[in-house]
Amino acid sequence: MIALTNGNINTITNGVIKRGTILIDKGKIKDVGNNIKIPKNVEEINLRGKWVTPGLVEAHCHIGIWEEAIGWAGRDGNEATDPITPQVRALDGIKANADEGGLTAAYENGITTVQILPGSANVIGGTGVVLKTAPKTTVDEMLILNPSGMKAAFGENPMSVYGKNKVLPATRMGEAGIMREWLYKAKTYMEKKEQFKDTPEKLPEKDLKLEALIPVLKGEIPLRVHAHRADDVAIAIRICEEFGVKMSWEHATEGHRIAKYIAEKGIPAVWGPGLNWRTKWETRERTFETVKNLVDAGVKVALQTDADNGKIGFLPISAALAIRDGLSEEEAWRTITINPAEILGVGDRVGSIEKGKDADLRITKGDPLDPRSQVRMVFIDGELVFSR
Amino acid sequence: MIAVKGRKVNTITNGIIDNGIVLIEDGKIKKIGADVKVPDGVKTIKAKYVMPGLVEAHCHIGIWEETIGWAGSDGNERTEPATPHVRALDGIKANADEGGLKAALHEGITTAQVLPGSANVIGGHGVALKTMPKTTVDQMLIKNPSGMKIAFGENPMRVYGVEAKKMPSTRMGVAGVLREWLQKTKNYMEKMERFKDEPEKQPEYDIRLEALVPVVKKEIPFRAHAHRADDVATAIRVCEEFDVNMSWEHATEGHRIADYIAEKKVPAVWGPSLTSRGKWEMRELSYETPLALYEAGVKFSIQTDAVGSTIRFLPICAALSVKEGLPYDYALKAITIIPAEIIGVGDRVGSLEVGKDADLRLLSGDPLDIMTKCQKVIINGEVVHSL
Repeated sequence: MIALTNGNINTITNGVIKRGTILIDKGKIKDVGNNIKIPKNVEEINLRGKWVTPGLVEAHCHIGIWEEAIGWAGRDGNEATDPITPQVRALDGIKANADEGGLTAAYENGITTVQILPGSANVIGGTGVVLKTAPKTTVDEMLILNPSGMKAAFGENPMSVYGKNKVLPATRMGEAGIMREWLYKAKTYMEKKEQFKDTPEKLPEKDLKLEALIPVLKGEIPLRVHAHRADDVAIAIRICEEFGVKMSWEHATEGHRIAKYIAEKGIPAVWGPGLNWRTKWETRERTFETVKNLVDAGVKVALQTDADNGKIGFLPISAALAIRDGLSEEEAWRTITINPAEILGVGDRVGSIEKGKDADLRITKGDPLDPRSQVRMVFIDGELVFSR
Repeated sequence: MIAVKGRKVNTITNGIIDNGIVLIEDGKIKKIGADVKVPDGVKTIKAKYVMPGLVEAHCHIGIWEETIGWAGSDGNERTEPATPHVRALDGIKANADEGGLKAALHEGITTAQVLPGSANVIGGHGVALKTMPKTTVDQMLIKNPSGMKIAFGENPMRVYGVEAKKMPSTRMGVAGVLREWLQKTKNYMEKMERFKDEPEKQPEYDIRLEALVPVVKKEIPFRAHAHRADDVATAIRVCEEFDVNMSWEHATEGHRIADYIAEKKVPAVWGPSLTSRGKWEMRELSYETPLALYEAGVKFSIQTDAVGSTIRFLPICAALSVKEGLPYDYALKAITIIPAEIIGVGDRVGSLEVGKDADLRLLSGDPLDIMTKCQKVIINGEVVHSL
């Protein structure tokens, strides 16, 4: 058991506790508050006024799957050889080694939970996973949710990868068409499996592409829909409603154009990457003001870095810039903690400092959103994984 | 009947016998010990040091023929990412003048597993053979098939993704292709079984899926080419999903994942080591890895991956591992009994025991001394090489 005392604790969900104590036991938060009795023989760490927040949650990144600095030999993010690859898994492309640039930057900056997704070359790109960033021997030991969603992509990326090679999809119509085609195939397959479950000789042959789409159709995992433009997300919503499928909106670059509609549909948005130049036409309206527009409209928003490397460490800077452009500090904190945790489906375990949750903590000297504040300690599952 | 008398006879599995005698009859070891009586009239061959013939668990001799170029490059049917139906057997040149086979024989490497290369995710069947020259490879076999080659990491990604712009271009894709074929095979087997009394309803004979059936039935393992720790973790993940066996070929990052491999009871075939770090995934190649594997309790052998006469450096690879701390006895096991067990012929070769094949290596001195000469080689009781 460990007791962290004299910390300024931002619980996210229950306000700020000045000079409070957090008790950690068996990887979980046993207690948090001002008047906590510290049992005997407990290791006490006096934080002397340092700030404690939950470990940050990055809802959309590609660390470990596009390995930093390697080149093609470490580029596992886009199986860009077929526009429909639901059967591939980010899990199988992630390098877990402690020396992987993105993973190292994540846990050293107190980003303790991440969702790693396949890229957006394919209309259906494969399943993502949610993992803790503490280095382990294998990625299997880091997982907290697998699969966490099915990557889907609309707009310029699939059009440019396939259309330029004269392969469908060359247009937005083509993207929607192929998406519908595969959801329909998977639905038919699923219905046949149910219909003939007592007559195995009539069952369809097991098909791994279609199998991978069943959890989507059953609503067990959402589509993680890459779309920058408002019209692209509208297409995604149209299709998801046709099939009764859940989704999150990844990137949400034109969120300001369609915020009310998104709020009305109850779709969460994972906005970003904000710290990037406008690399293509569909990102030309990128501005941090969009975050406030979405939040004000009532959309649940998470910020993302989209990092395929060490820039994942800049997640808190994105939150600070959103505050500069009008978002309240309280809402900004939610966009990098509890909101992404809930959007990923792990809100019961991470994203806030509450009794019974995982002891994932980020401890800074100074205001945790001030870029000059150093991360001094990082705990994951109650273990000190980084300190300086 | 012949007798071999050694000042030292290293049985590998039952210690060293001083002034030991190995009595050979009908190609097998009939008796072994210090007090074995040699019947009158039986020819006796003497040597300073006698040990079992070495076993190379992973090489490509005969299939990439030495010095020929494309006309003798039979190792990789690199035209499709899944070629389970091809067999190393059909690519091996058995002639006595093939550089790799000759080098193996002259160094006393008497058993070798020859595998297809690693361009394809599923590369085809391997075989285990004795290295004495015969007219055809069929006469050399001791196990066929001995395993199904599969490959992870840069090789299939480069050959298909980078060069051919085809799947797999990523590690996700490699795993996807492998799962797809395993699932197809399972579907095929289920249908064959379900309709076994109605043959007209059975699926058409599929030569590719048939080649994978012994893997799914666990009759042969996957020989999983992987250098990196995350690649072998993926191999293990897929093998566990489909309940099939595997060995870890190359194991270059073995030091990163030794405990996990030991816990999963996956045998490793470490090497090649007498080479440059030819690509990113090999950048951690080090003779310290065998020690790390040993300390974690991984069962592993040492391999040369030879495509030609480099196979003769197998004992040097063992010696260099000893230099970095691997125990001497284990190093000798890693080029004899352990590879024999890993390739599924441990009941026949890899140690000097009564009833086993009489495959012997007669040396001028210590087997891990670089100056030691291999003076005579006996395979199946016959002297097949003599200096």
